[in-house]
Amino acid sequence: MPPDALLSVRGVSRRFGGLLALSSIEFDVAPGDVFGIIGPNGAGKTTLFSCLVGALAPSSGEIWFRGKRIDGLPNHAAVKRGIVRTHQIVRPFRAMSVTENVAIAAHFGAGRRRGSDATRRVRDILERTGLASEASSLAGVLTIGQLKRLEIARALATEPQVICLDEVMGGLNPAEIQGAMTLIREIRDSGVTVLMIEHHVHAVVGVSNRILVLNFGQKIAEGSPQAVLNDPAVITAYLGDEAK
Amino acid sequence: MKFVRYAFCLASALFVLSAPFFLERGTLNDLWNLALAVTLASAWNILGGFAGQVSLGYSAFLGIGAYTTALLSLRGVDPFLTLPLAAVLAALFSVAIGLPAFRLRGPYFTIATIGVGEAVRVCAASVSFTGGSSGLRMPAGSFDFNHNYFSMMILAILTIALAAYVKKSAFGRALAAIRQDIDAAEALGINSTRFKLAAHALSAAVVAVAGSLYAINFQYIAPGSVFDFQLSLNIVLMPIIGGVGTLVGPVLGALIVSTLQIKLLSMPMLRDSFLFIYGGLLIFLMLFEPKGVMGIRDRVIAFFRRIARPRTGSADAA
Repeated sequence: MPPDALLSVRGVSRRFGGLLALSSIEFDVAPGDVFGIIGPNGAGKTTLFSCLVGALAPSSGEIWFRGKRIDGLPNHAAVKRGIVRTHQIVRPFRAMSVTENVAIAAHFGAGRRRGSDATRRVRDILERTGLASEASSLAGVLTIGQLKRLEIARALATEPQVICLDEVMGGLNPAEIQGAMTLIREIRDSGVTVLMIEHHVHAVVGVSNRILVLNFGQKIAEGSPQAVLNDPAVITAYLGDEAK
Repeated sequence: MKFVRYAFCLASALFVLSAPFFLERGTLNDLWNLALAVTLASAWNILGGFAGQVSLGYSAFLGIGAYTTALLSLRGVDPFLTLPLAAVLAALFSVAIGLPAFRLRGPYFTIATIGVGEAVRVCAASVSFTGGSSGLRMPAGSFDFNHNYFSMMILAILTIALAAYVKKSAFGRALAAIRQDIDAAEALGINSTRFKLAAHALSAAVVAVAGSLYAINFQYIAPGSVFDFQLSLNIVLMPIIGGVGTLVGPVLGALIVSTLQIKLLSMPMLRDSFLFIYGGLLIFLMLFEPKGVMGIRDRVIAFFRRIARPRTGSADAA
């Protein structure tokens, strides 16, 4: 693994029965990156995130994070090491308030905040993610835009070094997408490395400095946003052979 | 409102602790049975309600407590000194079953616990040192009415206090997160297996101590009484009827179920019908109010709030 990489994925494959959802994926993420992951539906993007945080174990391959192997670690242990993910289909604790949702992450995440320290931290994160006005609302009554931000707020509250955002812009209107892009830049500027799966190619290109393209579980391209978008293999994957 | 609640709890505690000075023995026995039911329901609720892991194998812990106390008492140990050992043994056993069983989720976990409960009963009935299926009689002179009464009341009070403490603690919030979405809880750093094991052990220990007191109270135990599946079922029914996951629900459910049982047992015609009545009650609640009596209470409160504050638009959203 390169000496400057924060996260290194080496030959990671994941098999579901006869389906090879990920096939020998390799890439490195440097500290401070906003690393975009794009690809058509079913390309294996979410499976890749699940493997990174330990929600799924890779069938083979190695994942190195901060100089140690984390593949095979359970999800909660990976979080305590400093890598966390959000869910594409939001999974709030609906019977709890927004504050309680975030406080749990602050308490049990890598930060292990307690007492007034935790309270301050939670308030700060709600402010940053624009949820302060909903602090005492039940998570079950939020709009989809707010729920997406709650996913981000909870993940941030665990105090990660790497945050994996799984389609946090899905279902948002253009104004909300602008807000989400600003939030992602702020997260990067606060020193957290970002991996993001996103269908809005425009948005990914706008915030990422590197992009990985998956198709049918294979890595088909990796590089700067412009280079990746001009790659013939990527154009074929998105638009079909006719586009050439 | 908070003050009223504390005052009510304190008054109830004072009442049951002073009852032997003005109530007759028959009524005190009923109170003992109520306190046992409250203890079992509240203890089960820590795992089943707070963490959402519905176990139908709790008679195993009651039986372990009862047998620990009976076996040691027969060897000359003071019955009340056996309580800590009963708690520890049951907690250890709960971890031993929990490690494989908690890999299962939802109804699969529940079914596994039925198997464990039944297996323990069969084992207790077929090995010789437990007295086999004919059970064990406690040694003569091991019963003292006052000790027996007060220890059950104190256990019930401590169990409610423990449940209240757990619910408010960070541990309790982790259990609530696990109940609502176990994968999301894991994704935020919660070691769900460890918390489920801890909740299981805590409630198993309490139920085992209740089992010890059961042996002391009834002076005779057998696999058919303390390891009974019907008992496991009752332990689950009480919190469900009262309101799973709340503090008051299990207490309320225990009072309702035990009172029903005491009343029905005293009517020869209805003696065997209590299962029908529980079944009917359960079906009714599952269909119309899965949150039990506490859910009905919430609805009534919401109804009166709506009447008191008519149509301001935001009231519906809230």
